[in-house]
Amino acid sequence: MHLTDDQLNEYLDNESAERAQIDLHLASCSECAARLTALQTLFAELDSLPELELTHSLAARFTRDVNLTPQLPRWLTLTASLQAVLALITLIVAAPFVANLLPAIETPSLTVMLIQLQAQWTTWLDVLSTLQLPQFPQLPPLEISSLMLTLTLAGASVLWLVGNGLLLRKQIK
Amino acid sequence: MTAPTDRDLLVRAMRGDNDAFGELVTRYQTGVFNVCYRILHERGEAEDLAQETFMRAYNRLEQFDLEREFGPWVRRVAANLCLNHLESRRVSAPLDDERDADQSQRPEKQVEVKERSEQIRGALASLPAQYRVVVELRHYQEMSYDEIASELKIPLSDVKSHLFRARKLLAEKLHAPD
Repeated sequence: MHLTDDQLNEYLDNESAERAQIDLHLASCSECAARLTALQTLFAELDSLPELELTHSLAARFTRDVNLTPQLPRWLTLTASLQAVLALITLIVAAPFVANLLPAIETPSLTVMLIQLQAQWTTWLDVLSTLQLPQFPQLPPLEISSLMLTLTLAGASVLWLVGNGLLLRKQIK
Repeated sequence: MTAPTDRDLLVRAMRGDNDAFGELVTRYQTGVFNVCYRILHERGEAEDLAQETFMRAYNRLEQFDLEREFGPWVRRVAANLCLNHLESRRVSAPLDDERDADQSQRPEKQVEVKERSEQIRGALASLPAQYRVVVELRHYQEMSYDEIASELKIPLSDVKSHLFRARKLLAEKLHAPD
């Protein structure tokens, strides 16, 4: 009685539950041993198949087309940096003008502020104990020239718009 | 500096780092392409299916279990895609005349290897689609019978009969006396 093809296949695939019996049979049956050798030759031939190389990389598609967050070109990065620098300069230039207008607002010293805060806190506690809303002091009116304010804001806005327009140009296209 | 592991790259890719996914593709593209080529035996189709395999993997990144190994998983996806492709085609396409080359060997030996490789590829390509995929998963992906049955969603008995018949057909084609 010879081994079946299924037995030989399972034996070579290490899926056989009867390895010991098959080994015993193969040791004494040259016909089955020859069939096993033929099957082993086929396995070796399949294993010997060389790997082929691709003609082009498949990775490029993922780093270019599918890229959802593309790398910005160098010139665009420089433009964004320039935008930030110009906006900072605008703020520095505008600062003295704004500072000229600030004296109109009375700024008390730290000690005075703390005393006032303490007094205010006491007042608030009193108010809270009687469940009444406190009276807030009136802030002095801020007197900034509307022309100066408009010019400063307009300058910063133009820079912001130009910078972001350049950054978004690719997406708009 | 040590190269990042597949897991590192997968985590980065899941966070939207496409370069990390590109690195994974670079690592596994040859293996995936060869799975496709062994099953389809046509370079253009094999490259298209390999690309589609990675597209599928990319689109399923969110569901990927980081405990699994990416390489074997993506090669199984490729084998399944090729099987679906063959079953939808249902018509045997003309075989590719691609030649296997190994420049390190002597010219006459190279020719001999090329010819034998071509015979093996031809014999594989002549098998029914299901047989080709079972051979691929068993011989090249080294999966067990149970794993193949689970992967292809077919009974264990079918895995065995496909595999054993495939081997019988291959042996008849490759070992037939001239």
